[in-house]
Amino acid sequence: MRDAYLVGAGQSDYGAFPSESYRSLFRTAFEAATDSVPNGLEAADVDEAFVGNLGVGGRQLGLSGPAVTEHVGLDGVPCTRVENACAASGFAVRQAVQAVKSGMADVVLAGGFEIMSDMSSDATKYWLGVSGETEWERLSGTTFSGVYAQMASVHMERYGTTREQLSRVAVKNHANGAKNPHAQLGFECSLEDAQSAPVVADPLNLYHCCPTSDGAACALIVSEDVVDDYTDDPIRVAGVGAGSDTVGLFQRDTYTGVPASQRAAESAYEMADVEPDELDFAEVHDCFAIAELLAYEDLGFCERGEAGDLIESGATELGGELPVNTSGGLKSKGHPIGATGAGQVVETYKQLSGEAGERQVEAPTRGLTHNVGGSGGAAVVHIFEKESGVDA
Amino acid sequence: MSAITGVGAYAPRFRISAEAFEDAWGQFHAAGVTEKAVPSADEDTLTMGYEAATRALEASEIEPAEIDWLAFASSRPPEAEEDPTARLGAMLALSESATRQVLTGSTRAGTRALWAGLDALEADSTTALVVAADAPKGDPDDGTDHAAGAGAAAFVLESEGAAEITDRAEYAAPYPGTRFRTTGKDETQGLGVTQYDRQAFTETIGGAVDGLEVDPDPEAVAMQAPDGKLPYRAAGAAGVGTDEIQAAATVHELGDIGAASVPLSLATALEDGYGSVLAVSHGSGAGADAFVVEADGDVPAVTALEGDDPLSYAEYLRQRGVVTTGPPSGGGAYVSVPSWRRSIPQRYRLEAGRCSECGSLSFPPEGACDECGALAEYEPVELAGGGTIEAVTTISQGGAPPEFAEQQARSGDYAAAIVALETDNGDETVSAPAMGTDADPADFSVGDRIETTIRRIYTQEGVTRYGFKVRPVSE
Repeated sequence: MRDAYLVGAGQSDYGAFPSESYRSLFRTAFEAATDSVPNGLEAADVDEAFVGNLGVGGRQLGLSGPAVTEHVGLDGVPCTRVENACAASGFAVRQAVQAVKSGMADVVLAGGFEIMSDMSSDATKYWLGVSGETEWERLSGTTFSGVYAQMASVHMERYGTTREQLSRVAVKNHANGAKNPHAQLGFECSLEDAQSAPVVADPLNLYHCCPTSDGAACALIVSEDVVDDYTDDPIRVAGVGAGSDTVGLFQRDTYTGVPASQRAAESAYEMADVEPDELDFAEVHDCFAIAELLAYEDLGFCERGEAGDLIESGATELGGELPVNTSGGLKSKGHPIGATGAGQVVETYKQLSGEAGERQVEAPTRGLTHNVGGSGGAAVVHIFEKESGVDA
Repeated sequence: MSAITGVGAYAPRFRISAEAFEDAWGQFHAAGVTEKAVPSADEDTLTMGYEAATRALEASEIEPAEIDWLAFASSRPPEAEEDPTARLGAMLALSESATRQVLTGSTRAGTRALWAGLDALEADSTTALVVAADAPKGDPDDGTDHAAGAGAAAFVLESEGAAEITDRAEYAAPYPGTRFRTTGKDETQGLGVTQYDRQAFTETIGGAVDGLEVDPDPEAVAMQAPDGKLPYRAAGAAGVGTDEIQAAATVHELGDIGAASVPLSLATALEDGYGSVLAVSHGSGAGADAFVVEADGDVPAVTALEGDDPLSYAEYLRQRGVVTTGPPSGGGAYVSVPSWRRSIPQRYRLEAGRCSECGSLSFPPEGACDECGALAEYEPVELAGGGTIEAVTTISQGGAPPEFAEQQARSGDYAAAIVALETDNGDETVSAPAMGTDADPADFSVGDRIETTIRRIYTQEGVTRYGFKVRPVSE
């Protein structure tokens, strides 16, 4: 199979934008992505598009994919909307990679978008639950904060993980997000702030939960046959892995890990032929603080049960051994559901291109993205590798 | 002859004292009530009736399928129009062909149900279940509301047994305006013509007792108790002493329990071992029923009437939904009534499924087997209602789905758990998510024992969904 390459990626700001539409945000991301391609890329070059989106603010539009691609002049290009809850655009990227590898397309747009701020908070919450197990889990009184809190309760009970360790995830990610101009909550927070916030679903407080966001992100995936037209310093999609699982937590064998993430990571590492310790940074799905800790274990950054120690050691901070969520993560950068997976690729592209500004990891070669839908009903992992870094 | 062979009774765990009312209002309009029971936001007369009925069945050691006649009585059924006995029967696993009756419209409905049950046994029914549950409500500044308590009682009736009903009589005379609720109104009211009200009460009670063929000499009298004073005013008319009325009184601790007032007093009198009990109801309109019960002092009874969770007056208003605004509007994650109805065997009776391929349990029993992944048939297996908490959180404001916002505004934070529910022999478990109830959320921890009960889950489009929740059990 042909290799696939990441030649450009860009995003809108994440936040609440009463003056923007889902289409205008997508346009901003699309233009940022094409502008980021070193040798330039025209709309006319695009063969196919995959767009992640959950519900356009709960409005459940049909054809929301073509609705944004036609807005940026891609009318005529085959476009498919991908829905896998919060992992929608992570899977859109995977679809783009598959299209390229299969030989059906040479230049594919993988993007995502969501509008979440233009309705009442009650209406937002009604809608957020649609990605959970609605008939049993939700009707026991939980949204995702509750389900992740249940996972945290077991992790704490079994492994001694502490509330302070959960809060350290927030402190780290806010420190990173403060360095990201696109971040929705781009401010630092103290450990004390992150421990004393109002409880949402015990043990998770407000600082252990990501915000709801408007935003869009786009990535451009091309084939090995055309990559030289777009860049002189190619970034290869070295590994792709994905998995699914029961939508409801209660139907799984484990509550202290996300099996879909484990399956996705295993496949991605195998395809890329790398070990976790060969990564230079990672963007992981930290919708809740416990989710980042579970990701450390599911992705093999540490042994099962040791994520609390890992965050406490500082190894995942910027400047640590394996910086995680240099963008600020979902917690600080924001979580516009359908855009989040593509947005992780944007950060990866910036890091590998040396364009991450104040939060730049020193000369990275390899980065991982990890995008989860719901509480683990779907997960997708990508490993990106700068070929010049591997050769050197 | 007919007899009571099993007694069940239930009152909610919340209590508010007369002092709490006096602190809030400067006065308390329910004479003789020192405290009263308050239903939780997830309770109504159907769930309280379920609580009492399961206990009556447990006491009688009758299998639910043996019940061939069911009555539900309340002045406040959950809906003004819609038969609650279909749901109650399903919750209790009664036969779908059992006869069902609903009695309402009066605080006399509870004894009317008992009356109808006796009629049924005299006809061709063999095992009747009479369930009376009530939670009156009035305007907040009105005596009816100050007295309003909550509770339920249930009786299994058979042709013979420990407590024989040896005589009964009824009486009615027109007395409009003493206690009424016009169509569409939620608050019960009365004109408050003191002497007229008392006359309606004593005349009908006296009339019913006078109609008995036997001359009762009761050790305890289960007398209708709209407040803590009125039943004693009818002592003379009923030809009984006030001590005997006090012996069976529940109004002083539980408040006015409307149509369940006399059934609940009768239940406690039988549980306390009284041999001869006179039960006399009164309902506005007005009418009364009188029953003579002769017991051998050893009537099987299972009751849960203790309550030790005091409420302030502000908490009382919240819990009853007086100061909350109702659920927010919205959509999304909508569970339709037909899809809800398909899950009733699981919601009411914990029906899991055993995979025909590998023999392991799945809950809910649909789709591929949780264990082996086979798309096999499931053999229904009813779980026992006990289990252990596997994972748990306390949902605070902001963490609740908006369907539960109203409940949370009324009851506060709640526990949400994943529980391992056990089979009858306790050898196997299967996991299910469940909301905590009947206890502070801090009382739910990983590893704790729980039992299931049935409560209101939520109301959408005016339709209340009931289903199982879990509460801690102390070992």
